[in-house]
Amino acid sequence: MRRWLLAAVLLLGIAAAQTVGNKPPPDYPPKVFEIAKKLRCPVCRGESAAESNAGVTEEMRRQIAQMLKEGKSEDEIIQYFVDRYTDWILYEPPKKGLGLLVWLAPLIGLGLFGLGLYSYTHATAKREAAFEEAPEDEIARVEAEIARDSTRERE
Amino acid sequence: MTPGGLGNLSLAFAGLFTVVGLLAALLAWYNRDARYLLVAKRAALLAFLGTLGAFVALEWALLSDDFSVLYVARNSTRANPTWVKFATLWAALEGSILLWALLQTLYTWLAGIRSRDYWTSPVVLTTLFVIQLFFLANVIFVINPFITIPNPPADGPGPNPLLQNHWMMAVHPILMYLGFVGLSVPFAFAIAAMVTRRYQTWIAETKWWLIIAWGFLTAAIYAGGWWSYEVLGWGGYWGWDPVENASFIPWLLATAFLHTAMVQERRGLFRTWNFALVTLAFAATVFGTFLTRSGVIESVHAFAGGPVGPIFLGFLLAILAVGFFLLGRISSEVRDAGTVVPLSREGLLLYGALVLMTMAFVVILGTLFPLLVEAFNGAKVSVGAPFFNQLFVPLGLLMLLLMGLGPVLPWRSADSETLRVVFWMAIALVLGSALGLVVGWTLWVSLTVGFVLYNLVALCWLAFRPIRRRSLVTGEGFLKTAAKVFEQSRRRYGGYTVHLGVIVAVLAIAFSQSYRLDVQKTLAIGEAWKAGGRTITVHTLRALREPYRNSVVADVEISGIGVAHPRLNYYRTSRTPFAAPAVRYTWNKDYYLVLQAYDQKGGEWVTLRLVVTPLVLWLWISAAIIIFGTLLIVWPETARAHVAAAVSEGAEA
Repeated sequence: MRRWLLAAVLLLGIAAAQTVGNKPPPDYPPKVFEIAKKLRCPVCRGESAAESNAGVTEEMRRQIAQMLKEGKSEDEIIQYFVDRYTDWILYEPPKKGLGLLVWLAPLIGLGLFGLGLYSYTHATAKREAAFEEAPEDEIARVEAEIARDSTRERE
Repeated sequence: MTPGGLGNLSLAFAGLFTVVGLLAALLAWYNRDARYLLVAKRAALLAFLGTLGAFVALEWALLSDDFSVLYVARNSTRANPTWVKFATLWAALEGSILLWALLQTLYTWLAGIRSRDYWTSPVVLTTLFVIQLFFLANVIFVINPFITIPNPPADGPGPNPLLQNHWMMAVHPILMYLGFVGLSVPFAFAIAAMVTRRYQTWIAETKWWLIIAWGFLTAAIYAGGWWSYEVLGWGGYWGWDPVENASFIPWLLATAFLHTAMVQERRGLFRTWNFALVTLAFAATVFGTFLTRSGVIESVHAFAGGPVGPIFLGFLLAILAVGFFLLGRISSEVRDAGTVVPLSREGLLLYGALVLMTMAFVVILGTLFPLLVEAFNGAKVSVGAPFFNQLFVPLGLLMLLLMGLGPVLPWRSADSETLRVVFWMAIALVLGSALGLVVGWTLWVSLTVGFVLYNLVALCWLAFRPIRRRSLVTGEGFLKTAAKVFEQSRRRYGGYTVHLGVIVAVLAIAFSQSYRLDVQKTLAIGEAWKAGGRTITVHTLRALREPYRNSVVADVEISGIGVAHPRLNYYRTSRTPFAAPAVRYTWNKDYYLVLQAYDQKGGEWVTLRLVVTPLVLWLWISAAIIIFGTLLIVWPETARAHVAAAVSEGAEA
């Protein structure tokens, strides 16, 4: 244990980085982390409130646990954070207004690409059909031309 | 000579010969003179050697702790182990663009050797030289790593701690750049095809490059996922982070292109589509770099910011402009060699490409959406993992449906034998989904299991039918025939192997995303904790001093598995500690321990987070299967196998 203490002293300068001081973080039920995962950490880059160790997320998790204990539903808890931080806190954009656009992205994509594809294959098919509908004498003329060209190539 | 001097000299040399090569390739094109082509090819080799010289110079500076070189002073530190110093070259912007330039010059040289067509080669080389010149000019003028500091510091801060935690970081960026750069070759050939108006041969000429690039991209994405899982400490391998998305977009487009290219090669269809797709796929690699290096988007992985954002955006727009301008010029004269039958292999491949492009569209829109909304009405929104996960489940299932059916259907039309196997596939789908629901899995997981079985039936039929047919004719034993058939159509079996790997990956993703146990508890030393079907005991908590970091390590026993060592690493450059998780894999689930906090005074308690995730090991196994399959496809054929295959193909036709 003495060796441990020595090391602890060595680390003292940086150990202060642990955000909650020297107190164990409380044991929360998994539901807390499930909800926290849907919220972003307000001060980090690209981390959710479940993963981050920043002080503000510790507080968010504490609040979630508290509200769960009070019997609030998941939607109510999430609404509480939306009221404080706006929709930005959610990892899912709202399914209304402009947000609807990104939710419909797969349909928009399939629709746009599908339409492009349809007109592409349709145009090809139409060209073939046009060829079939060409007057007999025109086809004969073209075929004769092709035959002439290929014999010339063989020579 | 100093490393800085050697670096700048080498870069000047490389830049000079890139310009020489570019001029020679242009002259070869305008004068129709193949002698200039020879000059261009030799210049490509010299430019590669020059860039290699710059690479060696920067490694020399890093390994010899030469802090008078700006890049070393900013990103390296004396105490780091040698492998970290070596990998520091691509830990920040300047070095990673130098690495990119090096790989680009290498590919230009190799593509020059392999392209023998006097008509298209000048345009191919011109395109590649322009791309290469872009990267070299950036390294020389904008983000030169060799700038000398007049008063060098005694030591530097070292690279980002997250990059020092796992050896995978030495491999992942190289794989990624090999994939990115690899896509420039099919793009250059496509440009050449459009300029010279030769619309068919470029596919066959670049197929090999494309599959190689695809293989590297796939391996790189897996390596990044593995790194995320083993280093970042949140117990996941994919978080839909913008940087991850940036690597996923080119992969999706390259996968789509790979399949429609196959249709063009076999049936002469989708010619204009392929020009568009290859342009988009290559542009996506630059788009990814723009996203991650410009700082327009926040990310946990954005390790290298810098001034190149607008430059890369301009380059991206130039690529798109050139590609689509050429396509617009020729689109009215490109003719497909027939029409698409809706229920045929080419039809299904086309739908598959459609879904892959839609996926890419969703990822692009989702990644950029916060920017778009903010520009539109100033509001801030976030688009993260829950959004992408919800949309990609149905898209992924649709993909699985097409992926099973496509290879089973013959080209042009369906016949009665295929209808029979499709019937069995449908049975497998229904049975698998029903079984899943009976066992109590969620609807989506059950459907995934059903589709996996459906795909397995298809793959078994595809793999065994040619063997059975042949053995019926020749009367030889099954194994002997199997060996022969495999030798003759190794590439086809490589494709099936890749598909098998994708199925395994899908299964692993479905289960690991749906059934995760994620718990956290504070334990006294020696206290036992029953969680995830095991008993977890913390035996000791100890401090560890290493030259470049200090660590606190917990020795945690997981009953039946052994002792794991989750730790917190303290680096000099960072105030917050970095949690290095400990992962213990078993065949069906893995145990992932993170040291969250510990008693800093007496060392009497620790807070542990335990994540138990099913089937993650199988995700890594699927990577091995896919890479093995890719190797089967690209491995050069021996002359004898080549002749045998040609003979058998002739016999079949």
